[in-house]
Amino acid sequence: MLDPKLSAIIGELKSIVGEQYVLTSPEDLVAYSYDATFTSARPNLVVLPANTQEVSEVLQVANREVIPVVPRGMGTGLAAGSIPFGGGMVLPLTRMDRLLDIDYDNMMATAEAGIITSDLADAVAREGYFYPPDPSSDHYSTLGGNVACNAGGAHCLKYGITGHYVMALEVVLADGRIMRVGGKATKNVTGYDLVHLLVGSEGTLAVITEVTVRFIAAPKAERTAEAVFPKLVEAGKTINAVLASGVGPTMLEIMDETAIKSVEDYLHLGLPLDVEAILIIQTDGDEADAVRGIETVVEICRQNGAREVRVAVTLEESEELWQARHSISGSLGRIRPNKLGEDITVPHSAVPEMIARIKEVSAIRNLPIVIFGHAGDGNLHPNILFDKRDAEECERVELAVGDLFRAAVEVGGSLSGEHGVGVLKRPYLEMAMGSVAVEMQNRIKRAWDPKNILNPGKIFLLT
Amino acid sequence: MTVNELIAEAQRSTDELYLKCIRCGKCLSVCPVYRETRIETLSPRGKVALYRAVGEDDLEVGEVYAGRLYTCLMCEACREVCPSGVELDVILNQVRADLAHGGLMPDSLRRLDETIVTAGNISGEDNKQRLGWTANLETVPTGLDHSGQAEVAYFVGCVSSLFPASYSIPQSLVQIFEKAGVNYALIGDDERCCGYPLLLNGEVERAREVARHNVEAVLATGATKVVMACPSCYHMWKHTYPELLDDGDLDDLEILHETEIMASLAREGRLRFRPWPITVAYHDSCDLGRKSGIFEAPRDVLQAIPGLELVEMADHHENSLCCGGGGNLETYNRELAWALPRRRLKQAQDVGTKYIVVSCQQCKRTLSGAAHREKIRVRVMDLAEVVLRQAEGEANA
Repeated sequence: MLDPKLSAIIGELKSIVGEQYVLTSPEDLVAYSYDATFTSARPNLVVLPANTQEVSEVLQVANREVIPVVPRGMGTGLAAGSIPFGGGMVLPLTRMDRLLDIDYDNMMATAEAGIITSDLADAVAREGYFYPPDPSSDHYSTLGGNVACNAGGAHCLKYGITGHYVMALEVVLADGRIMRVGGKATKNVTGYDLVHLLVGSEGTLAVITEVTVRFIAAPKAERTAEAVFPKLVEAGKTINAVLASGVGPTMLEIMDETAIKSVEDYLHLGLPLDVEAILIIQTDGDEADAVRGIETVVEICRQNGAREVRVAVTLEESEELWQARHSISGSLGRIRPNKLGEDITVPHSAVPEMIARIKEVSAIRNLPIVIFGHAGDGNLHPNILFDKRDAEECERVELAVGDLFRAAVEVGGSLSGEHGVGVLKRPYLEMAMGSVAVEMQNRIKRAWDPKNILNPGKIFLLT
Repeated sequence: MTVNELIAEAQRSTDELYLKCIRCGKCLSVCPVYRETRIETLSPRGKVALYRAVGEDDLEVGEVYAGRLYTCLMCEACREVCPSGVELDVILNQVRADLAHGGLMPDSLRRLDETIVTAGNISGEDNKQRLGWTANLETVPTGLDHSGQAEVAYFVGCVSSLFPASYSIPQSLVQIFEKAGVNYALIGDDERCCGYPLLLNGEVERAREVARHNVEAVLATGATKVVMACPSCYHMWKHTYPELLDDGDLDDLEILHETEIMASLAREGRLRFRPWPITVAYHDSCDLGRKSGIFEAPRDVLQAIPGLELVEMADHHENSLCCGGGGNLETYNRELAWALPRRRLKQAQDVGTKYIVVSCQQCKRTLSGAAHREKIRVRVMDLAEVVLRQAEGEANA
């Protein structure tokens, strides 16, 4: 049953976006109740706009009636950032998926927010260019969502995260006004950097409707090495040595023994089950750079105790090495029905210590935790495996999450490298940032969205 | 028990099917229906969520639920990429059977089922018209007079038998058989719908009845092999009939697809080809490729043609993109089904070819229909048509 206030505006919303794009059936509300976490909450309605003007008109209605609006891409977030916990309206941007322009002279592309990230990356790749931000969901997440959460990915070690590529945005403010910020000038210190205030704002400040990103020339060659370490500590030393060597790897990924076992169980790739860590390291550049780089990497791995090092030469061999890393997250559902994937980030020198502390948490709280991540930038993804139907187990999950965040902060790190805060990390924000920084964010939120309609309750609660 | 209780009970008993879904969203990247509509409720992940909500007493079963779960091509692309091993096809077979028993099958699909049961075919025409495609051949196919001595029975299938736009596929295949000296039999009006559409709609018992009839009709020809050009008929015969009929009747029957028989005829030198300097892309149909594992036979045939260059579209082999003709979707929602082939035609253009070769009359009909409607200059041919065009020698009829 719809709330009377909402019933009254359904007709108005239908006249804006069209009858079939206002969804209110229980079936549709179920489908827009979740993201890629274990949490869910049904909205009261789903509105699917086709263009910026429609977004503007919808927000004018929502602001007037004080109805919560939760912007959504493809619902693959990992922090419950697009779940409508307070009800209201989910606003998917998925129908707005046009690639508007590729400006090869300036090496920039402009697209509507709902474009699938890999569609944009593929389009520039066809002409020999490279859009580097590559969250593992790049084939099933939107560019707008990537910007709103400042998504990272494996390539970010060398090439940076989504925010480093965003040049300009078109957004709709809470009251429906349309604002364009940024531009194609690569240097621009005119006023506050509103583009990068909006990047990572998780839909709490405005609805992103159009994005201009820059892209770069594609590297001509890549080489990938996989190194197997009997001891985790030795893998840790290798990470620091590779980063100090001047090679500049594009990716430096780690899988610990729990992740190795989970993937091996799923794909039967022949991974060793008697080792504590596998590192996967990639170099790029022209052919000579990539080869020289990987030779240095192999040497460092051997010196630091790697039992076995394999180098992929062909694309197929390289894909085979990456398959294990890319399949971890998905393989976890085979072990337990629910997973909580964390995204802590620590100084890269602290990776071995952090892994050891995660293992302690796993033992103390008696919960399986699978550890993998982007070791080169200190961004780890400990995944706690559990069954949501077991209340007692859920309590232990809560406690384990607190333990993990405290440990990350203690070793000099923070809560999230690339997933964002959403709701799941909200209780720990002050611990990570301090009360003054949280208060300043409160003030920014009030200035942009006085009625608190945009994704309310995400990142922090208004005080 | 109410329908809702019945269905909820059934779904609870299969909860391991939905508990595996970790909602990662990877299926969204390959689902043709989602990619076209961009509506979560119609995505594989959305369908699993609805199924789960019913199993957890969080959602009532009704027409909207049925409609969302019937909006699927059953192409199984999602199953192929799912890292958690969710089998949406198994879930949907279960749901559709429950919905059919609960009286919630959409009307258009119920009419299709009634047509199949009363007429024996999907078009509703008199089943005696099944040999209409033989009428304008220059010579009468030898397979019409096999007097119980045939080696191979050719099970033509409803679409090729009754839809004139597909006649050229059986016409080509019988001429190929004659050129290569294959001793074959046509079973004509003794053939019934293979039962696949019934199964997709959740009508297991009705599918079993036609399966039994068809097996008896084929065995009556004395053949030890049965061949189909239709991948859906093939998949039914090869993989589902043995499950539906546990009486061992199929034990001595070799079940082949046209691509397999043509590949062995080419390998044995019974078919030789004239050169054709052309670039073609091969489109794997879902039922033949992903679901039955036949990828190389058709490619081997194409590569036996001198001068022909075979290219692969962006999605191929296990990850092939459904043409849009699967899952009875066209019967249920024609507007949506007709929008889907555009992406596949564009993939052919992207690799620089104007020719798509298929080995499925439904893929041919769906893709060429869309090319015609959208004025896209891509020609779609069945492998049998390509083979007949390039095969040397005369039919020795």
